[in-house]
Amino acid sequence: MSFEVWQVAWFTTWVAAIGTLLILPPGIALGWLLARKHWPGKTLVETLVTLPLVMPPVATGLMLLKLFGRRGLLGRWCESVFGVEIVFTWRAVVIATAVMSFPLLVRTARLALEGVNPRYEQVARTLGAGPWRVFWTITLPLAARGLVAGAVLAFARALGEFGATIMVAGFIPGRTATLSLSIYHLVQLSRDNEAWGLLAISVALAFGALWLSEILLRKRPSL
Amino acid sequence: MNRSKLLLRIVGAIFIGPLCHGRLAAGEVTVFAAASLSDALREIAAAYEKTTGDTVRLNLGASSILARQIKEGAPADLFFSADEAKMDDLAQAGLIDPTTRRSLLSNSLVIVVAADSNLKLSSAQDLAKATVRRLALAEPETVPAGIYARVYLQKQGLWEAVVGKMVPTENVRAVLAAVESGNVDAGIVYKTDALISKKVRIAYEVPRGEGPRISYPLAMIKGGENPAGAARFLALLSSPAGKSVFAKYGFITEP
Amino acid sequence: MNLEIAHLHLPLTAFALEVNARLGAHITGVFGASGSGKTSLLEVIAGLRRPAAGRIVLDGAVLSDAASGVFLAAEQRHIGYVPQDDALFPHLNVRQNLCYSHTIDQPGPPPQITYAHVVEVLDIADLTERRVASLSGGERQRVAFGRAVLASPRLLLLDEPLDGLDAELKQRVIPYLHTMRDEFGIPMVYVSHNADEIVALCDDVLLLERGCCVRRGTCADLFAVSQAPHYILKPD
Repeated sequence: MSFEVWQVAWFTTWVAAIGTLLILPPGIALGWLLARKHWPGKTLVETLVTLPLVMPPVATGLMLLKLFGRRGLLGRWCESVFGVEIVFTWRAVVIATAVMSFPLLVRTARLALEGVNPRYEQVARTLGAGPWRVFWTITLPLAARGLVAGAVLAFARALGEFGATIMVAGFIPGRTATLSLSIYHLVQLSRDNEAWGLLAISVALAFGALWLSEILLRKRPSL
Repeated sequence: MNRSKLLLRIVGAIFIGPLCHGRLAAGEVTVFAAASLSDALREIAAAYEKTTGDTVRLNLGASSILARQIKEGAPADLFFSADEAKMDDLAQAGLIDPTTRRSLLSNSLVIVVAADSNLKLSSAQDLAKATVRRLALAEPETVPAGIYARVYLQKQGLWEAVVGKMVPTENVRAVLAAVESGNVDAGIVYKTDALISKKVRIAYEVPRGEGPRISYPLAMIKGGENPAGAARFLALLSSPAGKSVFAKYGFITEP
Repeated sequence: MNLEIAHLHLPLTAFALEVNARLGAHITGVFGASGSGKTSLLEVIAGLRRPAAGRIVLDGAVLSDAASGVFLAAEQRHIGYVPQDDALFPHLNVRQNLCYSHTIDQPGPPPQITYAHVVEVLDIADLTERRVASLSGGERQRVAFGRAVLASPRLLLLDEPLDGLDAELKQRVIPYLHTMRDEFGIPMVYVSHNADEIVALCDDVLLLERGCCVRRGTCADLFAVSQAPHYILKPD
């Protein structure tokens, strides 16, 4: 395998990891809100969050392009406040993968948190623990397995992201070249043999991540 | 009528309908053509359809992608490429009828910026300046417009300076879209592309002598579904009437 | 202890919980069939559920008052709660469960009840490093009591604590409840559908039926011995 292949693989893993880490706090928070609380507009939020999961990824990518482009609302804000551009950089790749993985994380986090018996949380409250402490010392540890499985699943999804990424980051060798984008590019250049190499890595990474996720989800201790 | 009969009819219509529709109706010509030819071809095709009653199906995109599709067996009657290399490729694979091959058009390269941009370019060398942070080109390894642009930049000694700010796109029209959206500072497209868009303006035109030789070859694909129709359309494209339409859009027509 | 429950109203699925009572005994029993609202009553007192109407005042301090919108959060009430399924934290061992309340910085005087004392009284000294899942039913109950007591609550709510234990085991756990009352002096509200337990432990009994307190009195008032050595409810 050539050096470039490893660079692409490393870049893909790295942005997927960053993207996943970025969505963990809001994903778990939203999962908790959906699992434990009832509030007006809950169904609307549930639907909106699930949207990227069901919409064509390029459609999501188009929306992100309009939002983060130089003339877009957030694009202009980022440029004026931080002086950084989003589209056509690695940041756009992170954003695209984060947005596409978010619904998956929220779903799994919600399931994991719903699986924690509320009785434990109630007893902890009567022992003097406020809601934050209950979350950190009781809810989170008990939901940990499911949450990690969700994070791994989100990571696996981020690894394979294509449609939204190509819209908002494009394929720029050395800057936004992920595994899936590179495979597409190589196929267009009729360099199929090299594409196979990248394909093998993609499959291996996805397989590994899913395997881990399955193991974590299966051995759930009876609560 | 009872429910099950109605259901059967609906299911039948859903599945069988499109099949009937999808079969090439008599007199349908499929043309795979470079993206830069979009507007001119649409106009010629509309005229053709009116006079002959045939339908013209245009598949427009990067010549590299189209050539690949034809190689993989996509149904095409005519291939209208933006560079000779792609046509040579198909010729070597024995996929075209070499007797029908001809080069009709040429084009020139321009550097465009957004219509509301303040960027001024007195020469191509200005592309290396810091004021141009992002430059869009068609994919420089495969898409003809990108190859022409790269060859030109290499000749000008600008390639190294520009490669770090390059945003490659899938075809030349995507370059135009990128410049229009404001997400890049400038782009290299054909003059004909710049002329159809009101949202961009030409900042610099590459003089004919300096730029690479651009040529648009056209040929019939062997084993196409409608060779008669294809031959008719090809004749129209090569006729003075056809050429005048191309000229109107800014193409340089070979006599 | 003086717990005032004034005109409490909490809508439940089939009926509404309506209680108006003053509790002051050492151990008050709440007797009723399953689904009569007993658990909901405990949850309201503990601050885990918000009543639609009514006031709850403990030793002069208002815990909740629907009319004025006052609602003291569960973590601030210092009311212990041992739910029906003991709810020992499965990810912590016995000692960590017991000391959970001690990990929280609470204002006020240091707890009177010490870890060593509780562990000795409830006979759980040799269980402390064990994982919760490895404990027997009786052991789990005692650890659950210990955990609640170590928070130095001013009132302890017990929801069917002996449910699921066999008769012999119950006989062995009941003395611990007596000891808890005697050694730690914490007033309790004890909920059960089992008359024998109520008679063995409680001084004052409320009979709850479909959310309403239909009878009130001492064990002697409400219960009579039946053929087998069990207690049954006296007719009205």
